[in-house]
Amino acid sequence: MVLSLNLSPPSSRATGKGKFAFNNIILLKNTLTRFQHTSTSHLCSCSKTVSNEKYQDPFQLGRKDLKNLYEDIKKELLVSTAELKEMCDYYFDGKGKAFRPMIVVLMARACNIHHNNSREVQASQRSVAIIAEMIHTASLVHDDVIDDANSRRGKMTVNQIWGERKAVLAGDFILSAASVALARIGNTTIISVLTQVIEDLVRGEFLQLGSKENENERFAHYLEKTFKKTASLIANSCKAVSILGCPDPKVHEIAYQYGRNVGIAFQLIDDVLDFTSCADRLGKPTAADLKLGLATGPVLFACRQFPEMNAMIMRRFSKPGDVERARKYVLQSDGVQQTTYLAQRYCHEATREISKLRPSPEREALIQLTEMVLLRDK
Amino acid sequence: MPGGGGGGGGPPLPSPSQAPTFISSLISRFTGGFVYDSRNNLQMRGLVVLLISKAAGPSTEELSFQHNMVSGIYSSQRSLAEITELIHTAFLVHRGIVNIGELKSCDGPLKDMQFGNKMAVLSGDFLLANACTSLAQLQNTKVVELISSAIGDLVQGIYYENSKSPEENCLTDDISISTWKEQVFLSHSALLAKSCQAAMELAKHNAEIQDMAFQYGKHMSMSHKLHSDLQPFVKESSSDTMAFSLNSAPAVLHQEFLGREAWIKQIREAQGRGNIMDYKKLQEAIKAGKGVTSAIDLCRCHGNSALAALESFPSSEARAALANIVYAVTRFP
Repeated sequence: MVLSLNLSPPSSRATGKGKFAFNNIILLKNTLTRFQHTSTSHLCSCSKTVSNEKYQDPFQLGRKDLKNLYEDIKKELLVSTAELKEMCDYYFDGKGKAFRPMIVVLMARACNIHHNNSREVQASQRSVAIIAEMIHTASLVHDDVIDDANSRRGKMTVNQIWGERKAVLAGDFILSAASVALARIGNTTIISVLTQVIEDLVRGEFLQLGSKENENERFAHYLEKTFKKTASLIANSCKAVSILGCPDPKVHEIAYQYGRNVGIAFQLIDDVLDFTSCADRLGKPTAADLKLGLATGPVLFACRQFPEMNAMIMRRFSKPGDVERARKYVLQSDGVQQTTYLAQRYCHEATREISKLRPSPEREALIQLTEMVLLRDK
Repeated sequence: MPGGGGGGGGPPLPSPSQAPTFISSLISRFTGGFVYDSRNNLQMRGLVVLLISKAAGPSTEELSFQHNMVSGIYSSQRSLAEITELIHTAFLVHRGIVNIGELKSCDGPLKDMQFGNKMAVLSGDFLLANACTSLAQLQNTKVVELISSAIGDLVQGIYYENSKSPEENCLTDDISISTWKEQVFLSHSALLAKSCQAAMELAKHNAEIQDMAFQYGKHMSMSHKLHSDLQPFVKESSSDTMAFSLNSAPAVLHQEFLGREAWIKQIREAQGRGNIMDYKKLQEAIKAGKGVTSAIDLCRCHGNSALAALESFPSSEARAALANIVYAVTRFP
């Protein structure tokens, strides 16, 4: 039986839905080890073709460009009231991972080098990094109100400290400041590309509200939600900097696909960590997704082994004891492994795409980054 | 994902084919007499944007793209009118969010409030996202910047509104009328003023016309807010006294004339025992002072500024309708 994993990436001009045709999950499970082996060896061969480029820590490479990132973001947040300013600045304290701006800046350089060997990051490309982080943070602030969360990144949430009303306003303000910065780049294409993210974020949140009865639909629904809520921002900001750095539409597509695949992988691992990590490391409480009624990758896979989970999924783990039961089922099943394997496939795809660009330390760093996504523990 | 601004939750503005008759009927409604409905709702933001677009007409610059006009309005300007309504509505929704920590058991089940908050945040965000998408489709970076900054203004204005907690013994902030004007500009005027300006930019009008449109939007909406604040004080023979905000214009002006201490004293006297505000008593106190007449003067002053701005536009039905709106919001019994 042929494993028909349809990984053909939808073009960025299409709707961006990631549909996986899981014809045979059991076959998937059996070929787990085989694919792991393949992807590792592919990575090895990649680094062999770029023999002169030494391993570089991606975060070191991008550090110079991002050094004043949070200071610059705070400068965009021009607001007269001290308290509102405090709220808006709250998450831009430099303690976040800065994972997204990092990717953006590295992608900018990789595309610039590919186009004309220039290693400089243009001011407009750096702006995209700033804007992406602002949009991301604005959505976090709102998500915390929606989820009634009380801690994030190891500290209290904005809504916990200042209340929901002001938190929502702060999120709106950050978004408006991001919009102003976006307009100032002066490029209508870039405005369209990044505005798509704003729409996707909201639609992703709405997708999360709904549930699907049919198992296959559930997975497609989960992946679509994952794209919209997490990957769209990375994909479109990569695309934006590639447009600014290089006129070739093929490069824009490569950048978009890299961002999309890395983004989905990132979220899948995030969903895994919700089951495997402990609260201290993660900065937020675990089994958080279950408590919110969300059935993520590990749960969906586990459900195939334990059909009794279906009922719990449909009622969104609302009955007492559901969360704990579901958690146990997941840890007994191979849900975590399956989800991790899936993330590996996406990383593999991201690597495949980015390898089409001209070799550079930044390109290698982006490949390295996919490994880091898989290995992170927080 | 389909494009277009009307993703859902937008106002029922007509489709392009319906536009000519709809706009004509609205104009005749305004030249005939203004129907003033709700107290705090300037429900016609979108309409004002349409009217000012029509009043300004095509600019002399770009004769080539005038074929895009329907009934004297560009499709981009129509889209902008929708965007303005979307943004305004989004914030009406976001204003409805409650602070979970301040809820009491009499407010009902916590779960319901949390769900309500969730829906409010999401719906508001949905409307804002639609507005952003439509803005991007206008393909004009100046307009995007202008309207985005208006959103920022609106947030700050609403923030000031929120800062006055009703729990603090109904005491007011010690703000002067000039501070009041700044805050009200942000919460009530900025969006319309900048939308009017943006409408001119879309038709490629020069900086002077853009500024006149801005001034009209700004002064007309200031008048409207003042008019709205004055309602509890100018309505004759009402057996039920309307509650009013202690940070409304007449109250703020009253405090300016009377001095803070005397005003606080009056508030305490009206509170009486049990901290329940006797609004009738307080209203009488304010009416006895100079706050009300002063507010009426201010309202008319802004009205005149709005009319002066209209002078820069050629005479037309649309311009007359805009003038009629000003007359309506400066009219007192």
